[in-house]
Amino acid sequence: MKFGGVTALNDVTFDVKKQEILGLIGPNGAGKTTVFNVITGVYQITSGEISFDGNSLAGVKRYRITQRGIARTFQNIRLWGDMTALENVLTATDTHKKSGLVSGLFGLPVSRREEKRDKARAQELLDFIGIGEYADRLAKNLPYGVQRRLEIARAMGAEPKLLLLDEPAAGFNPAEKVELAATIRKIRDAGYTVLLIEHDMSLVMKVSDRVVVLDFGQKIADDSPRNVQDDPRVIEAYLGVPEDAS
Amino acid sequence: MIGNFLDQFWSLTFGGLSLGFIYILIALGYTMVYGVLRMINFANSEIFMVGTFATIIIVRDVFNFTQTSEYATGFRLWLILGTALVFAMVVSGVLSMLVEIVAYRRLRRMNSGILAPLISAIGVSMVLAESVRILTDSRPVASPRAMEKKFLGQFFDAGIRIDNTIIVISALFLFGVLITFVNKTRMGKAIRAVSMNPNAARLMGINIDGVVSATFLVGGLMTGAAGFFYVLKYENTSSNIGFELGIAAFTAAILGGIGNIKGAFYGGLALGLLETYASFFLGTQWKAVTVFIVLVLILYTRPNGLFGEALTQTRA
Amino acid sequence: MINLRDKGAEIWERQGRLGRIGIALGGVAIAAALPFMGGTILNTPIADYESVLVYPIAMYVLMAIGLNIVIGKSGLLDLGYVAFFAIGAYTMGLLGTKTSLNTWEILPIGIAMAMFSGIILGVPALKLRGDYLAIITLGFGEIVRIVALNLGALGRSEGIQGIPTPPGIFGIEYAFDSHRIYFWTLLILILLAIWMVRRLSVRRAGRAWESIRQDEDAAELLGVPTFKYKVWAFVLGASVGGAAGVFYASKTLFIAPDNFTLQISILILACVVFGGMGNIWGVILGAVILGYLPDRIRFLSDARLLVFGLVLVIMMNLRPDGLLPRKKREKAIVKKDAP
Repeated sequence: MKFGGVTALNDVTFDVKKQEILGLIGPNGAGKTTVFNVITGVYQITSGEISFDGNSLAGVKRYRITQRGIARTFQNIRLWGDMTALENVLTATDTHKKSGLVSGLFGLPVSRREEKRDKARAQELLDFIGIGEYADRLAKNLPYGVQRRLEIARAMGAEPKLLLLDEPAAGFNPAEKVELAATIRKIRDAGYTVLLIEHDMSLVMKVSDRVVVLDFGQKIADDSPRNVQDDPRVIEAYLGVPEDAS
Repeated sequence: MIGNFLDQFWSLTFGGLSLGFIYILIALGYTMVYGVLRMINFANSEIFMVGTFATIIIVRDVFNFTQTSEYATGFRLWLILGTALVFAMVVSGVLSMLVEIVAYRRLRRMNSGILAPLISAIGVSMVLAESVRILTDSRPVASPRAMEKKFLGQFFDAGIRIDNTIIVISALFLFGVLITFVNKTRMGKAIRAVSMNPNAARLMGINIDGVVSATFLVGGLMTGAAGFFYVLKYENTSSNIGFELGIAAFTAAILGGIGNIKGAFYGGLALGLLETYASFFLGTQWKAVTVFIVLVLILYTRPNGLFGEALTQTRA
Repeated sequence: MINLRDKGAEIWERQGRLGRIGIALGGVAIAAALPFMGGTILNTPIADYESVLVYPIAMYVLMAIGLNIVIGKSGLLDLGYVAFFAIGAYTMGLLGTKTSLNTWEILPIGIAMAMFSGIILGVPALKLRGDYLAIITLGFGEIVRIVALNLGALGRSEGIQGIPTPPGIFGIEYAFDSHRIYFWTLLILILLAIWMVRRLSVRRAGRAWESIRQDEDAAELLGVPTFKYKVWAFVLGASVGGAAGVFYASKTLFIAPDNFTLQISILILACVVFGGMGNIWGVILGAVILGYLPDRIRFLSDARLLVFGLVLVIMMNLRPDGLLPRKKREKAIVKKDAP
């Protein structure tokens, strides 16, 4: 992936297997968020290929990528602050609706049915993530930890096959991180595939089935957490502090 | 038709160039404010209008010219022109600064988004235009001619008129001064810093309020100069010329890439020439449409204008 | 200052279904009774009160509701809204004078023309953002006016005269000076528009628009077909403007390009911002005040536009979010129970 003269990702190749939790780590600037941006269609790759579920993602519009089953959270929270928590999740569920503006306007049965169904689903997701009581609160008024979890619930609302979590633990204290790890595992057990960017090494190692390490836009490791921790190249990339909790 | 055009080409071009420079100066008023505040200063068109009246006040009321006066020559002429130019610039510059303090500053402090200042700007525009309209009884005002509009020479069969020449040369000079100001002086650099990254600028200790005031002042000075040149060339004005010229100059600013000072130069010239040629071919009533269609086309093919820098949009 | 919006929301939420219907009907009744209040302090000197109720007040309200969909809900800066008003009006003018169709038959055509032009403008323009969109829409508005000014078929600067009034329906006659009838007809249109907007707000479309306004990129990445819904916002806004235009032409009997200036686009914009963007009640209030004010202060005669400009500046500086800021806060009652 090149931006003008800068090569952000150089021959980064990896697979994500169904229902695994894949951790993506690397020092700052390694290209992790670029990977997310490429997958979700924010950037079009300049060379190579990218395919999901057997189909190429090249040139596919961003909202269609979501419809195909990829959804993400954001590193800096990007909730729709003036909408309630429930509405945030509901908006994500809209992407799979058959009904649209016209059927909504005339209150056609399909619209009412889907609306009811998705409202229930949205509440379900909020409960699943543990913030069900905040459903009617405005997103901008929510405490930080709740907002982070709402981001996840919202992404899940889009019924993704692949869920991309971008630094979901940022700003959490250790207790919250333990809880988050359990939540991520719970998500995987419910049938989702998770691709996770995180800086907190111990969290990543604890939760991931497999870990991919990037450094300066190149993949330098792709293995189980145990093996990656011991990989000398990885240790070098992090200047010798592989097990430091952030 | 084409033959006719070719015959008149150079005289049309000179007319277009001087009009273009007028546009450049007004466009600078828009583009500088946009660069620093990301705001379209709608009131700039009325600042221009006030500049034209300031000019007439000097020529007609201070130096007591009338339609039948003799032309001034030599030193006296330069004195009159100089005084009118300076007066127009100062009046417009100060007015521009006042407008910012009264109508926009509070909103800027409150971080109120882009629409509130826009509506406020429109309100200011109305207040200025209406005030002048009431004072002039809704009638256009003619300027007596202080300077004989003689021809300095010929260029390919086209006469080079002195007023067009003065406009081109002076405007070029003013533009040069502005470029120097923006690149070499401390305040100029501060202005550029703020337009690139206001937060970093603030953290570096730059006084944002001061920079904003300076920007409005400089923009107003340029716009006021445009007012003087306009009266010099067209010898009349009215309370509602602000709108027409404002839109055209604004288009020029967009053409060149809004926020981009050098772009305003090319945009203004391009527009002045385009309008003059279009006027010749299509008649004056269609020139406005031509201008807008050009604007629309430019925005589709090169939304950042001919010279604009790419404005990055938020991305994940 | 008392927060009118929250107080109003509180009162509304306390009501049961019956209470809410009562309030709604009461509101409509007061609005419908407005033409009869000409003898009170509401009266406008010089201009005919009831005529003012129709234009500008009712028309501005209708257009403000339309523009609110575009700017208030979706966050799309449209500075050329008058174009749709003009297209509706000229459709009425042309078809009304050249064919035997009557106003009721032309109304859907006018709306369709406006919607169609909403697509023509929207599809290219909505690829741009922010200020650029504003400039293009401004250009579009001006282009429409200038074309009308220069096309012989549209009457150039003289415009179109002799536009027929609507034929009577249900036994009600539409004489051009029976302002009340027009007012009540417009009131019905306004109610329809309000119904449409409120309906859509709680469904997918409303959510899509809100998410686009607040963070378009995030919306796209979470599956919202942003482009489609932006065009829809334009089209719906245009439809309302077009409807207003058809009735405008049908009432004033003659239209000219001078009736469709940039000033009107800006005026409607001012109604939306002044009243409170995104909040349909605020927008209506803003339109009523700004439509009413210039005629109410006619006693200031020549200075009234000046005063109007001052009002804009002062109002924006005092309350930049508008009179009734964006609705949608948490339900007032929930707030009371929260710890």
